Amino acid sequence: MKVTISGDVDFIRRINNSNFSGVVHSTFNRTFNIQCSGDGELFTIACRMVDNAPNTLIIDSDDLSSWGIEVNDRVFVKNNTLYIENKLAILVEKARIWASAIPAYPCNIDTLSRNLKTIKEYIDAHGKEGGIKKKPTVQNSFEAELARMLELRTSLLWSELLKNHKSQALKHAVSLVGLGPGLTPSGDDFLVGLFTAINMIDSPFYDWRPFCEAVTKKARHLTNDISYTTLEKAAMGKVRESIINLVNSLIADNEEDLILSLNKVFNIGSSSGTDIALGLVCGLEANIIAGGKV
Amino acid sequence: MKVQALIKPNTYFDSVSLMSLSTKANQIEGVEQAIIAMGTEMNKEVMKNVGLLTPEIEEAKTSDLIIVVKAETDELCEEAFPKIEELFKKKNTSKGKSEVKYSTISSAAQSVPESNLAIIAVNGAYAAREARKALENDLHVMMFSDNVSVEDEIALKTLAHEKGLLMMGPDCGTAIIGNTALCFANAVRKGNIGIVAASGTGSQEVSVRIHEFGGGITQLIGTGGRDLKEAVGGIMMLDGIQALEEDEATKVIVLVSKPPAPSVEEKVLAKIKTCKKPVVVWFIGGDEEKITAAGGHFAKMSKEAALKAVVLAGADESKLNKRALNIPLIEEVRTKLTPEQKYIRGLFSGGTLCDEAMHAAMEKFDNVYSNIARDPEYRLKDRYTSQEHTFIDFGDDEYTQGKPHPMIDPSTRLDRFMQEAKDPSVGVIVMDFVIGYGAHEDPVGAFLPAMIEAKQLAEAEGRHLEIIGYVLGTELDPQGLEDQVNKLLAAGVTHASSSQNAGLLAREFVVKGE
Repeated sequence: MKVTISGDVDFIRRINNSNFSGVVHSTFNRTFNIQCSGDGELFTIACRMVDNAPNTLIIDSDDLSSWGIEVNDRVFVKNNTLYIENKLAILVEKARIWASAIPAYPCNIDTLSRNLKTIKEYIDAHGKEGGIKKKPTVQNSFEAELARMLELRTSLLWSELLKNHKSQALKHAVSLVGLGPGLTPSGDDFLVGLFTAINMIDSPFYDWRPFCEAVTKKARHLTNDISYTTLEKAAMGKVRESIINLVNSLIADNEEDLILSLNKVFNIGSSSGTDIALGLVCGLEANIIAGGKV
Repeated sequence: MKVQALIKPNTYFDSVSLMSLSTKANQIEGVEQAIIAMGTEMNKEVMKNVGLLTPEIEEAKTSDLIIVVKAETDELCEEAFPKIEELFKKKNTSKGKSEVKYSTISSAAQSVPESNLAIIAVNGAYAAREARKALENDLHVMMFSDNVSVEDEIALKTLAHEKGLLMMGPDCGTAIIGNTALCFANAVRKGNIGIVAASGTGSQEVSVRIHEFGGGITQLIGTGGRDLKEAVGGIMMLDGIQALEEDEATKVIVLVSKPPAPSVEEKVLAKIKTCKKPVVVWFIGGDEEKITAAGGHFAKMSKEAALKAVVLAGADESKLNKRALNIPLIEEVRTKLTPEQKYIRGLFSGGTLCDEAMHAAMEKFDNVYSNIARDPEYRLKDRYTSQEHTFIDFGDDEYTQGKPHPMIDPSTRLDRFMQEAKDPSVGVIVMDFVIGYGAHEDPVGAFLPAMIEAKQLAEAEGRHLEIIGYVLGTELDPQGLEDQVNKLLAAGVTHASSSQNAGLLAREFVVKGE
């Protein structure tokens, strides 16, 4: 039996309503994913080192690999407890409820502008290369071509955002989906960051939320289930806790917290954290440039 | 060139594993290019653009993992797949290892009351907090983490000093405590020589040379690179000397570092003066007069430090093979280099090894540049472009941001190697290959195809390219010293028997061209 430390409000509600069942979709050392048998949506069980995220339960365990969880293991709910076969029982009763809430766009953008400059410099110095941030030297022709396409497509998207051309922006955003070798491709990660900025209430680009939805609709068969779920949730303004903390730090006046938050985002995946941060920077800069014009 | 692909349906690996597997797959012998990626339409487009798309890849789904191999022949492609499968298996096996994990240092200390040391390797932002917890639980600390503030370092070292504990680090990558190698260290004999070092690869080199001379190590205490700076005041080096002075098994103490700040040097020299055991001092570029006046045994280079230590510890110097420089080889190489081939390019994974070779060159040349040069005038203007004699420490922060250390991932140094090999003004390329715990499983093997190609390229252009390789390690290290050296020799690379000899050979080979 394992106790849930904290969990996403929607996931816990579904468990408490006893209407959750599915199979294990994929397993990793620190997480495993469950595909819900009703709508096919993915849910995640993560160990304590992982931050809160949409559709995720954080359980009191350091490593999930020792439980012997395998793909296609049956998952069901009984007495408010989530069972994975007879291998693991997860109690949600005392879990801290977490809900993703992206902060509102600030009225005064001075601090945000200053902090954006700081994190751009920090990403430049410490961000992981190989995704949106280019490597100074590439290992092979695949890496070179991938770097070229990511650079071209992100700059085209940026340019259309500034021109307020939604249809062109949609085309370029979709062209990023699935681009990159990792589990969550760099293009997807960049869009997660961008969608986060768009979903800040009162931001100049807040009206662009249907754009995020449109990208997600087209993305369904362009990327894998895990990355798609993250992208779909981001389009709805639901992103993991470390990203929200970074946005909070960006609008607050505390440089130490800012770098701490950014480093936590950097810890996501291989280059994913850096790619997300760069997408967020892109969206926030677009917001600042657009001001009240969009 | 041939391209073959293997599709693994519905297979997910986390991004960090995928990147690591991809890097290793690219190092398989005979593989020109290997890609491991999810089968998305966009990734297929990238492959199409670079001529790697095969009918199998076209059929792959977004949830499938694609493995693509490009090699000279179909046979080489086919040979590569089982090796890549092996990498996947290794990854899965390591996942299944059972070990007890504790979520906090305090719970670990309570559960294992006999434990007396904690290794901290978390993000620098949290490292100081964790180290403090360890010290408060009466544990010695080895802090591998960097990006810890000087203020935190001073506070932690002061606390450790007050409690009579060791606070090794921050940024301490090498230690041998109670005959157990920690982080990056080599398998060396147990003996009667203790080392206190502010330099990771410098201390590895001295420990390995001591082992080669038949000596052995009691303890290798790392201090972290900033310990001898003015602000920190050498707290750990002074405590380290004290600990070794009190350790009955230690007969001789060796200190390894860059020259300390003047005020710290005074304290260290004062400590040497009162120390009851002989102290050998290798401060790279250090002042012989001051050290000798304090009663220390001055060593100019690493091998000299090891030699002095083993002799002081009781070895008969006349019976030791000191591995003198091969003078006929120097003459031979000089005649092969054209007058235009004037420069040395030192490409190092170890900072102190780079520093040592650079100092050897600086004795004869005044146009020696480096990313770690102390004199700003001789610091490389652009890290991607060499100037005259250039020595690069690829382990320096500017080359390792967002990527593993070159002792683990050779890719950045490998790219630079080919760049230097094509430069007609280069006479000698000198490189270190560090083996031992924590290091790459086959560092020479990773460079072998590139070294062969570079030699062939130079030959086709009518010039001789001299490559010097030095393998830092012992026959007890997991990678096998002999196997690594044999690989160098098979590629026509000149093998240097020590870091000191590597630096001196590189310098002497090009002296004629100056």
